[in-house]
Amino acid sequence: MTNHWIDIKNSDVIFMIGSNAAENHPASFRWILKAIEERNAKLIVVDPRFTKSASMAHVWAPIRPGTDLAFLGGIINYALQNNLIQKEYVLEYTNASYLVNPGFKFNDGLFSGYDAGKRTYGDRKSWTYQMDARKIPKRDKSLKDPQCVYQLMKAHYSRYTVDMVEKVTGCPKDTFLKVAEVFCSTHKPNKVANFMYAMGITQHTVGTQNVRALAILQLLMGNMGLAGGGINALRGESNVQGSTDHALLFHIIPGYMPAPSAKDHPTLKAYNDTTPKTEDPMSVNWWSNRPKYLVSMLKAWYGDAATKKNDFCYDWLPKFSKPSPYIALFEDMMKGVMKGAFFMGTNPIVGGPNANRNAQAIEKLDWLVAVDLWETDSSIFWKRPGANPATIKTEVFMLPAASSVEKEGSVSNSGRWAQWRYKAVDAPGPASTRGKSDLDIVDTLFRMIRDLYRKEGGKFPDPILKSNWNYIADGEHEASPHLVAKEINGYTWPDRGQMKTFMDLKDDGSTACGNWIYCGSYPGSSKNLMARRNGDDASNNIGMYPEWAWCWPLNRRIIYNRAAVNRKGEPWDVDRWVVKWTGSKWKGDIVDGGPKAGPEAKNPFIMNNEGVGRLFSPGKALTDGPFTEHYEPMESPVPNLFNSQKVNPAAKIIDEVRGQFANIGQYPCVATSYRVVEHWQAGAMTRNLPWLNELVPDMFCEISPSLAAARGIKNGDRVAINNARATIKAYALVTERMQPLMINGKPVEMIGMIWHFGHGCAATGDACNQLTPSIGDANTMIPEFKAFLADIRKEA
Amino acid sequence: MSGKAFLVDTTKCSGCRACQVSCKQWNNLPGEKTTFFAGPEYTNPAELSAITFNHVKFFPVDRSNPGKPLWTIMHKKCYHCEEANCLRVCPESAISKIEGWIVIDQSRCIGCGACVNECVYKVPHVLDENMPLYGKEGTIKKDKSYKCHACMQNKRNVPLCAQHCPTGALTYGDRTALIKRALARVKKVSADYPHANLYGLEQFGGLRTLTILKDSPEKYGLPLVGKAIDMRRAEAIKDAYHLFAMFTFGLPSLKRVAYKISRSMIG
Repeated sequence: MTNHWIDIKNSDVIFMIGSNAAENHPASFRWILKAIEERNAKLIVVDPRFTKSASMAHVWAPIRPGTDLAFLGGIINYALQNNLIQKEYVLEYTNASYLVNPGFKFNDGLFSGYDAGKRTYGDRKSWTYQMDARKIPKRDKSLKDPQCVYQLMKAHYSRYTVDMVEKVTGCPKDTFLKVAEVFCSTHKPNKVANFMYAMGITQHTVGTQNVRALAILQLLMGNMGLAGGGINALRGESNVQGSTDHALLFHIIPGYMPAPSAKDHPTLKAYNDTTPKTEDPMSVNWWSNRPKYLVSMLKAWYGDAATKKNDFCYDWLPKFSKPSPYIALFEDMMKGVMKGAFFMGTNPIVGGPNANRNAQAIEKLDWLVAVDLWETDSSIFWKRPGANPATIKTEVFMLPAASSVEKEGSVSNSGRWAQWRYKAVDAPGPASTRGKSDLDIVDTLFRMIRDLYRKEGGKFPDPILKSNWNYIADGEHEASPHLVAKEINGYTWPDRGQMKTFMDLKDDGSTACGNWIYCGSYPGSSKNLMARRNGDDASNNIGMYPEWAWCWPLNRRIIYNRAAVNRKGEPWDVDRWVVKWTGSKWKGDIVDGGPKAGPEAKNPFIMNNEGVGRLFSPGKALTDGPFTEHYEPMESPVPNLFNSQKVNPAAKIIDEVRGQFANIGQYPCVATSYRVVEHWQAGAMTRNLPWLNELVPDMFCEISPSLAAARGIKNGDRVAINNARATIKAYALVTERMQPLMINGKPVEMIGMIWHFGHGCAATGDACNQLTPSIGDANTMIPEFKAFLADIRKEA
Repeated sequence: MSGKAFLVDTTKCSGCRACQVSCKQWNNLPGEKTTFFAGPEYTNPAELSAITFNHVKFFPVDRSNPGKPLWTIMHKKCYHCEEANCLRVCPESAISKIEGWIVIDQSRCIGCGACVNECVYKVPHVLDENMPLYGKEGTIKKDKSYKCHACMQNKRNVPLCAQHCPTGALTYGDRTALIKRALARVKKVSADYPHANLYGLEQFGGLRTLTILKDSPEKYGLPLVGKAIDMRRAEAIKDAYHLFAMFTFGLPSLKRVAYKISRSMIG
């Protein structure tokens, strides 16, 4: 989230798309209802189904799964055609006035520079700004130059007419127009909308572009940086924000620095040569500090061994030779390239795409370590229906884990608040076998491996033997989360004074910091700001509660908050101001980009090297286009009406599964997957709990009365849902909340499925993800769970 | 009528069922072994029972207005009538008021089913022996009547159901203040729901579980008029029951028959 949960109460329009927060983030409705009650806010819910969230909405707009870009492109066009934009904000704080390279072209779904053979856009040299002699992007503040971003985007989105939106998405015109009108009412400087989104936006072959479209809209409306605004990713687990911050994903290392690649970044110099640069004096270009953060991280990891002479052990840092997203990992497992795996709080044969294929891949492993509260469906993969244990040689180790109340540590919520939790009880059972904290497990494992290296040597022992790994306090026998948190915060080297802010980090080896964005969270040896519980609000009284827990970066509760004021430093809305400039200093929230520079001196979007928000995304930031464009999901029942590309032309199609996308015409229904409030993710934590299983005991799907009638299915019948990848069984919930949508004049039916079930645990059922495809987003490779094809029939 | 009350606001309920589960947690109640869903949409189990004191019912979606479908999700628990039938007819005086809340003392309950028979809201239940229990077996005794006791038997400042409601759809507080707030809320939501009303002001002398409804009470199976059984009649039923009870040999099943005969005799 750029903002945070409580801040939802400050919104005038709450725009929920690709999220069913009433099921998956029920506490958010406390703040949504507060906004509705106290500000007369309007709730818009865009969802294929009439969900619990939709039932609370002022406007519900149904769309076909996978057509978000057609819908959002329609709103962008509506805003531009009707001049419903926050003009001053757009001029000052976005790249609307920037001139684009004349070589940039768009034709029939393809941007300039496409290599059809490789299905990539290569070096994307034409996706750039025109530069002046000082190497600063050229601008036309009248917005009239045909090569300025504003004019290019106006032309690009002019194709997203109301008619096209209706034909492609199935959303009735009037409903679409109502959404556009309500949302665009926030183009006024003192009106603010937020976006609440989740996996319904990201889990598509155009997932990143879906988020881009939200960003474009918020920039046009002037809603970024303001209270009640922003783009708010509703994270699906209590600490998934924290795990992303600490580099859960394959393309980053801690603090969102790019993961070093063997090919592109063989040396520290090569890595640092890619540090974002700018000549524009208005740009803060915060990433120019990256070398300090990297060296401080290396110092935290390798300690005394990391010296200026040896490039701070940059050579020891693992580097990737190919991208390793989820789908590729399991393909490697399938090929036998990967010999062993750790599953910690993950359940891939329920939660991963093409789940049967994942299960077959796991069978190829020599060993598997499963760390969880209970047996999971994946840790007993050999017991699944259809498996033959006699032919499976994988050795499986199960390690009992402590639950959240059985260990101490921090949890970072969607709003970036790191909150400290305490251990309430020991895990059940005798001390010798009871569940351990993940920290204890990892620490013990590391120390045992280090002992083995000491005793037996190894091919490349230095990174292990010389690692700065010492988390057990004197007199203790278990790793301390406080020592880990202190290292993440960072300290001076070698005297170990806790760092107070990342502005003091250095690239000369005099500071160590595990993760620069958490610098300041533990600024004294017994000063853990994450443990704060002061419920007083700040002077701006907008619900930031700055001394409750700690929030990255630097306890800034709303990021890009320089955009909350005009160039004079006056808040766009005086009644819910975030920051303001007194003429000599900033008041309110911790201002972005350093406290000294006034509002006229620096641009607000400090993480972009041009310092402004990107309506057009230049250079290599994205693999699939500087503007958004509608492409159909990999599996779609209709042709693409916007261009002759069917699927995102930059999405990678893996040869091994290409055959599964043939003959999709025989599966006429659009299928999608989602969660319910009663179960948690892949179900391993909830399908053993009687009170929750009582509420949702079985795998079920949701279909419309018309599809049910066509297939002779009644509510409560057992049904089979099938496609090229699998056939699964489920109960059918026939409901008025589902409906066919008219797509280009023809009705298209939907099958909605929960994905919580699997063959293990107390409550069992078929895993929906046996049906989902192994294809991902062109940028992040997140699998396309949310739109695929299937058919349904009554079980005999 | 002073004291505390619950306020259920169906316009704020998102159907998370935290109330239903929290109640089972605080009161150590078993789950019920269910299959698929027992009622419309996600409703599970079908109704309140001896092991379910809080229940969320999902009504079928009304799509008569195609642009704006209506989905009512309703929290139900004991209404804690000021003039409660169950209390008046209990032959063993096992039901009493504690701080205004209607509470069954299971140590005195004989499982005769008088309260089950007389509650128009179908709240109290004697454990159905055929009900497949799931977890926590043994915490609910057979041949005893059970229902919500507003955490009077397992005391806490705010009943856990209300404390865990994330949206403010279920709140707990001073009844007079809640009514004031509820009437303002009804006025506010009447733009969206023209028939919105506050249920529980008059029925059975006033209820301690008040409900803001989106539509008229009958739509949700709630009687518009609720009048408690006459005191003298209740005494006559009890007298008749005590007479018949001599022939029930301590068997709860016969006690339940005896109560029904007494009831039909007195009329």
